[in-house]
Amino acid sequence: MKRILIFFIMVLGLVTSSVGQATTETSVTSIWDDPMISFYVVVGFLFVVVILVLMVALYMLQVLNYMVKQATKERSERLGIVYKEEPSFWSTIWNKSNDFIPIEKEKEIMLDHNYDGIRELDNHLPPWWTGLFYGSIVFAILYLIFYHVSDTLPLQLQEYETQVAQADEQARKLKASNPVAIIDETNVAIVTDPVALADGKTTFLSNCASCHRQDGGGDIGPNLTDDYWKNGGSIQNIFTVVRHGVQGTNMIAWEGFISPDKMQNVSSYILTLKGSNPENPKKPEGELYVPKEVSSDSTKVQASL
Amino acid sequence: MELEKIHYDNKIVKAFIIATIIFGIVGMTVGLLAAIQLFYPLANFDLQYTTFGRIRPLHTNAVIFAFVGNAMFAGIYYSLQRLLKTRMFNDSLSWIHFWGWQLIILAAAITLPLGLTTSKEYAELEWPIDIAIALIWVVFGINMIGTIIKRREQHMYVAIWFYIATFVTVAVLHIVNSFEMPVTFFKSYSWYAGVQDALVQWWYGHNAVAFFLTTPFLGIMYYFLPKAANRPVYSYRLSIIHFWSLIFIYIWAGPHHLLYTALPEWAQSLGVVFSIMLIAPSWGGMLNGLFTLRGAWDRVREDAVLKFMVVAVTAYGMATLEGPLLSLKNVNAITHYTDWIVAHVHVGGLGWNGFLIFGMIYWLIPRMWNTKLYSSKLANLHFWIGTLGIVFYALPMYIGGVVQSLMWKEFAADGFLKYQNFLETTTQILPMYMLRAVGGTLYLTGVLIMTYNLIKTAASGKFVANEEAEVAPLPKAIHDGGHWHSVLERKPILFTSLALVAILIGGIIEMVPTFLIKSNIPTIASVKPYTPLELHGRDIYIREGV
Repeated sequence: MKRILIFFIMVLGLVTSSVGQATTETSVTSIWDDPMISFYVVVGFLFVVVILVLMVALYMLQVLNYMVKQATKERSERLGIVYKEEPSFWSTIWNKSNDFIPIEKEKEIMLDHNYDGIRELDNHLPPWWTGLFYGSIVFAILYLIFYHVSDTLPLQLQEYETQVAQADEQARKLKASNPVAIIDETNVAIVTDPVALADGKTTFLSNCASCHRQDGGGDIGPNLTDDYWKNGGSIQNIFTVVRHGVQGTNMIAWEGFISPDKMQNVSSYILTLKGSNPENPKKPEGELYVPKEVSSDSTKVQASL
Repeated sequence: MELEKIHYDNKIVKAFIIATIIFGIVGMTVGLLAAIQLFYPLANFDLQYTTFGRIRPLHTNAVIFAFVGNAMFAGIYYSLQRLLKTRMFNDSLSWIHFWGWQLIILAAAITLPLGLTTSKEYAELEWPIDIAIALIWVVFGINMIGTIIKRREQHMYVAIWFYIATFVTVAVLHIVNSFEMPVTFFKSYSWYAGVQDALVQWWYGHNAVAFFLTTPFLGIMYYFLPKAANRPVYSYRLSIIHFWSLIFIYIWAGPHHLLYTALPEWAQSLGVVFSIMLIAPSWGGMLNGLFTLRGAWDRVREDAVLKFMVVAVTAYGMATLEGPLLSLKNVNAITHYTDWIVAHVHVGGLGWNGFLIFGMIYWLIPRMWNTKLYSSKLANLHFWIGTLGIVFYALPMYIGGVVQSLMWKEFAADGFLKYQNFLETTTQILPMYMLRAVGGTLYLTGVLIMTYNLIKTAASGKFVANEEAEVAPLPKAIHDGGHWHSVLERKPILFTSLALVAILIGGIIEMVPTFLIKSNIPTIASVKPYTPLELHGRDIYIREGV
């Protein structure tokens, strides 16, 4: 039975480690690309060796211990003395730390209680347990003092503010080192680069498809492949809807979840769906949208809004 | 001194045991179904009645109140009579208690799949059933206190202290948490709203674990473990200290379920520190159980009953160390809302409650049927398969919980969340969900093996409905003093009152200020909790509108 148990636990270990790997693989492109890989391998190997050496050493100690015991036993037999085993180092520590009263002396601490045959002993409280209890009370008092009297440790609002400040600082640094053109309704433009459109498609499938269907044919949200739009069909209109959502509908604001360039990509991708005629599309909603003459001059587009 | 001939009522114990086993199998099967739905959603049969949202509360209610509840009553009815040398106070009350409790379970099994729920966790049942629970609980209380009063034993044994604490605290928890405004026969609105609702909910939820799943089973451990091991209880002193500290401290710990929320921070901190102070009292129970086995460990190797009890007590110790650690804010920030918590409660549920119940039943059935266990081999098989089930349940959920937590908090280089879709974390840990279901299947298989073994055992013996015993009447001698706690053990009403005071203090200090002092509740202008009447109106508006 125990062998089956061990087998199952090993299987469990294998499967669980594969899930762990799956996560690391998604976050790092490949473990083998890591420049530190040889270091990890050496350290891991050393670790295994150290553990093996320790195991062998422990086993040898046990054998030695057993041989010494055998020898003393034989000697006491030769001398005709009754052999009494010395308590082991661990059992001495164990008995001391629990303040056990030896089982042979149990009668002395047996109380005169007898409940349906159940007797009660009056053993001491284990000293480490008492220490644990007192320790936890001291911890409790210090905890309350540090958080609520001396204000040494931050409460949740302070914690939040510190973290937001740190994030702001990081964002500022990121912007300074890697300036990205700010994209909003005033300068959003249709992108045609296939890489950007593919990125837009990924965003669409993971965020929009659950309401607008994978092919954009519409389900909870409107059909995105026809010429009818509830909030206008220009790139600016679509970008606005993606960014701010539409009040009173299920369309949420994606600002803060999707970066501006990705919003531009997904808006452009949506426009490529036009006329794709998917099966069973949702009925047209909104008004017929006739695109104005496409102009690269953003100020003119502004005027048309 | 003349010995009296009395008869212990075994029939009521038998009824509760049968109910335990039936509802154990039902509750665990429903749990397994819920576990399967998490990786194979089609297992909801495309029926509203069997969707996850409805069978999850069915599972929790079935295993807590039906499986563990019935086992608790079986253990109490068996041990109470023998510890006090008397039959139960009143047989009719015993049977009202039994059938009343089963009817409540039946009502739960019907209303929860129908979607009739108060939506308060572990208190989902609607108000008519709440009232029935209160009445049946009072019947149980009268029967128990009555039995204690007509006892032939001067002192109350430690198991009975725990039974008393269970009775008073569950009554208080249930009544306070269930204040609600009924609108129809199957619909009510809770009296509490906003952060008060959350506080009351977790004061209740946390202490339901404490006083429905823990204290009665500590009592059961104190009777059945020394009996099965045939050893004296390790330390009477430890019993006294850990009993009083446990019931006093436990009640404060509820707010650790509400860290990093709108709950006032002083209350959050109290929840944390009292959880930490709870480690030692909880471990007092574990130590008193394990050390009672000193000098009997050689028998643990062979006796399945003792094996079950050892693992149960150890699981109790592990879960009660893990719980306080989870309540520390920095640990909580990682584990809260993840599947780690699910693993944590199942170590307690499957390990502590489940295994202690199995050990108790394996010990009881041969005695009540005056025979020997049909197969100790099968009992050992059950033990190993059950242990394996717990391992397979808990480990994958621990790993899954950490993976989830790390994914939720991972940011991409551009400052946006790396995994924006919750689904991504779910699909990542699907293999863990599958392994968990394997664990559940193993555990349930063990229970089926036990059921077969016990039926065979009962068939080979003859049930003793009224067990005869010869007992001495209670001596009329007047006691003068003794140890102060010894005096207390002779005065059940005073004892009950003191236990009640001990469990009331924490709840009052934490809850009353948030009810009375306005500045205690952080408010935002745009968010105002609805009163029950406003909520009712809102529901009507939604129903009739658009």
